[in-house]
Amino acid sequence: MEKLFQAVYGGILYGSIYGLMAIGLTLIWGSLRMLNMAMGALYVVGGFLTWTAYKQWDLPPLVAIAIGVLAAAVIGLLIQVLLINRLLGRSSFFNAAMIATVGAAIMIESAALLIYGPRVKQMPPIVAGQSKIIGVVIQYQNLVIIAVTVISLIALSIFLKKTRYGLAIQAVSQQMDAARLMGIPTVMTFMIVATIGAAFAGLAGSLLSSVFYVSPTAGYAPLTKALIVTIFGGLGSIKGTIWAAYIIGILEAFLIVYFGAGFALPVLFLFMILMLVIRPSGLFGLGEVQRL
Amino acid sequence: MLKVTDLQAGYAGSEVLHSLSLEVRDGESVVVLGPNGHGKTTLLRAISGLIRPTGGRIEFDGQDITHKRASDIVAAGVIHIPQGDLPFPELTVIENLLMGAYRSDAWRQRKYKLEQVFELFPVLKERPNQLARSLSGGERRMLALGRGLMSKAKLLMIDEPSLGLAPFLVENVYETIRSIRNTGLSILLVDENADHIADLADRVYLLEAGSLIKEGGASEMLHDEALLAAYLG
Amino acid sequence: MMQETALSESGANRTAQRLDPAAVPWAKPSRIGLAAAILTLLVLPWVLNSFSTGRFAIHLLILFFVWGIVTQSWNLILGVGGIFSFAQVAFFVIGGLASGVVAQQFGVSPFLSIWLAPIAATLAALLIGLPSLRLRGPYVVLLTLAFAELVRNFATQGPKWVAGGGYGLRDVPKFGFENLWGATTGRVAYYYAAMILFLITTYVIWRIFYSPIGMSFRALRDSETYATSRGVDPYRFKLLLFALSAFFTGLAGGFLLHYNGSQAPTILNFPLTINLLAMIVLGGWGTFWGPILGTALLTALPEILRGPLENWRNMGMGLSLALIAVFAPEGLFPILSRGFKKFFGRKDKAKAS
Repeated sequence: MEKLFQAVYGGILYGSIYGLMAIGLTLIWGSLRMLNMAMGALYVVGGFLTWTAYKQWDLPPLVAIAIGVLAAAVIGLLIQVLLINRLLGRSSFFNAAMIATVGAAIMIESAALLIYGPRVKQMPPIVAGQSKIIGVVIQYQNLVIIAVTVISLIALSIFLKKTRYGLAIQAVSQQMDAARLMGIPTVMTFMIVATIGAAFAGLAGSLLSSVFYVSPTAGYAPLTKALIVTIFGGLGSIKGTIWAAYIIGILEAFLIVYFGAGFALPVLFLFMILMLVIRPSGLFGLGEVQRL
Repeated sequence: MLKVTDLQAGYAGSEVLHSLSLEVRDGESVVVLGPNGHGKTTLLRAISGLIRPTGGRIEFDGQDITHKRASDIVAAGVIHIPQGDLPFPELTVIENLLMGAYRSDAWRQRKYKLEQVFELFPVLKERPNQLARSLSGGERRMLALGRGLMSKAKLLMIDEPSLGLAPFLVENVYETIRSIRNTGLSILLVDENADHIADLADRVYLLEAGSLIKEGGASEMLHDEALLAAYLG
Repeated sequence: MMQETALSESGANRTAQRLDPAAVPWAKPSRIGLAAAILTLLVLPWVLNSFSTGRFAIHLLILFFVWGIVTQSWNLILGVGGIFSFAQVAFFVIGGLASGVVAQQFGVSPFLSIWLAPIAATLAALLIGLPSLRLRGPYVVLLTLAFAELVRNFATQGPKWVAGGGYGLRDVPKFGFENLWGATTGRVAYYYAAMILFLITTYVIWRIFYSPIGMSFRALRDSETYATSRGVDPYRFKLLLFALSAFFTGLAGGFLLHYNGSQAPTILNFPLTINLLAMIVLGGWGTFWGPILGTALLTALPEILRGPLENWRNMGMGLSLALIAVFAPEGLFPILSRGFKKFFGRKDKAKAS
């Protein structure tokens, strides 16, 4: 019983984290049809700026997190404006965007190493303390993470469904030519999407800065996890990504609790490979998976 | 109000339209007839900004819109209703319509516009929250037209309104376009056959291989059986 | 430059134009240039041996050869096949593992076990290539990435004889040239071995690059149509590219293993893959000389800019990647060769047709 609760709780926690990391990736794919390989670096930016704001500028933790998010959003927007916008319309757009964002990621990582040095940093928890429920240790910290995730995902959904700009983002990702014919400014829409996507990556990094260490090279793991989640949920589908995040989170938690940690990752990767071979469009993916 | 002069346009190296000139005057309803593959869709796309013309000039209401962005051309009042409807599949009927009113001036009046469109298309009023991808062919056509009307259109450009529709729906669509025309909106319609446009068109152009080969008043063009037979086979 | 052959068929005059082989600028390197280059490569290690830093320079050259094989092979998939695969280092590691495990566990001589390396890598390539080639864009990226991560996981947390408790393969028998002929000459022997592998790979890849199919794949966007019109199945061709690419890469992996005597699973972390990708991109994605140039640059630079400058160097590399992707996607080699031609002129100018 205790194990079950542990697995479910852990699953929801992981799921929340994966959701945060993956949602930006899928949003950006949906609108721009590119994979933003700098998402891991943006995650790192969030973590570091949060740490800086808290430790070096003495700001309260919530403000520090906001600053982390803001920093990531700004850098994400810069990448879009300086690099991606210039690539729009090229036939090699996908490849070029991959390489450009990889380059950006390396720059960000190197900058982090230069500014902060290689040693890891740690943030104290946003909310200290823990409780024991059904024999499982629940850190308030983690409850905050779950809460913030759920709130921001709901906020995003409302934005996408109820506001003009949110609907426009969906329109552009579903049928770009028609969107242009409605007068929707596609370049502006891309910039909004890039900013939101980056903000979410930054939020993930900021929130997790107190759970994991903050390290300049820590971006690859979240990026890889985010890629798995988006593929499973279907590239471009918000609903799919959220479902996939929690399903994979719970799957992983169960694997860890019942079979031990070493098992989880390879199983997940194998799972992803199978998914790609059998049903690349994922759970709810926006079609266009061209089969040759 | 729309003046196209010596328009040249095409795709990735192959020129489709060659020195094409046409005009749509205020309140007029102009039809361009042409067989498939001769440039009807390219013409509309060049005007609405989806593709960039390689030569020539397009003027609307005195403004040069030849190389403007699609969103600016929409702001000027030129609305292109594309072939195949291109609905937003995962959005509902209402959401699709709302996107038609994206431009800020139209957006402010969206509730009013929505009522207008629902009046014109009761079919849409019946299913406001249905996802666009589950609509029937006729309903999608209505949606595409309605979406175009949500904006502050001055010129409505319609691409083959009867394409893919069952015969009994086709007359319905043209009837609707006629009522739109009767509200005073200027219309540029491109089509493949001349069956239903008699009561709709003021003037007709014939398009062949990217050039306009003949122009005339609707009555004279459409009653010239020999011409039509030879041209449209 | 075109040989025109007139054919008359039922009265109509038709000319068939065949490409004069000499018209293709880089397909025939000058005999002298080639001989000079090979001679230099042969003599180089002996010359370097006389310097104290020579030993290190030879080591760098060996690394250049090894990674040069990998980047050229990867370029075959990326630039010619147009498939964004991230599995290259996985093939490298599989090659190393195959040879290493057999040599270490069964006492087989590395000279024999190494032949398992390309075979194992090729099998892996076929395994992952078959589904990959049916997918496009992001899906290939993700599939190959997942595969690479699986291999990394296996190499890090797998059974002891593979993962060595997380440290990878250690104390693997080397080729042992240094035992046969002493340190100095042994070093040269390693150099020659690497050089031979490199030259063979380069030659095979050169042949593919300048074959009609290869050139069409590179030049034409609908090269698949061309290939089909020539009776070649584009899918099979891409599979061949995949297999060949893995073959040489695996071989290189086996070589490096028996040169170093060890292979750490950290090799599969992103930094190496990104470095190799940078070599290809900076040098010239899809060109023949690009990867070679890129590998030379990025193998030498890290050693020149060691220590505290390392982060600046990485920053520079990241910046170069971004700038090249945006402003000069063809890479450095095409730019340099154009500049060279303008500057020095070509002695045998091709006649404009």
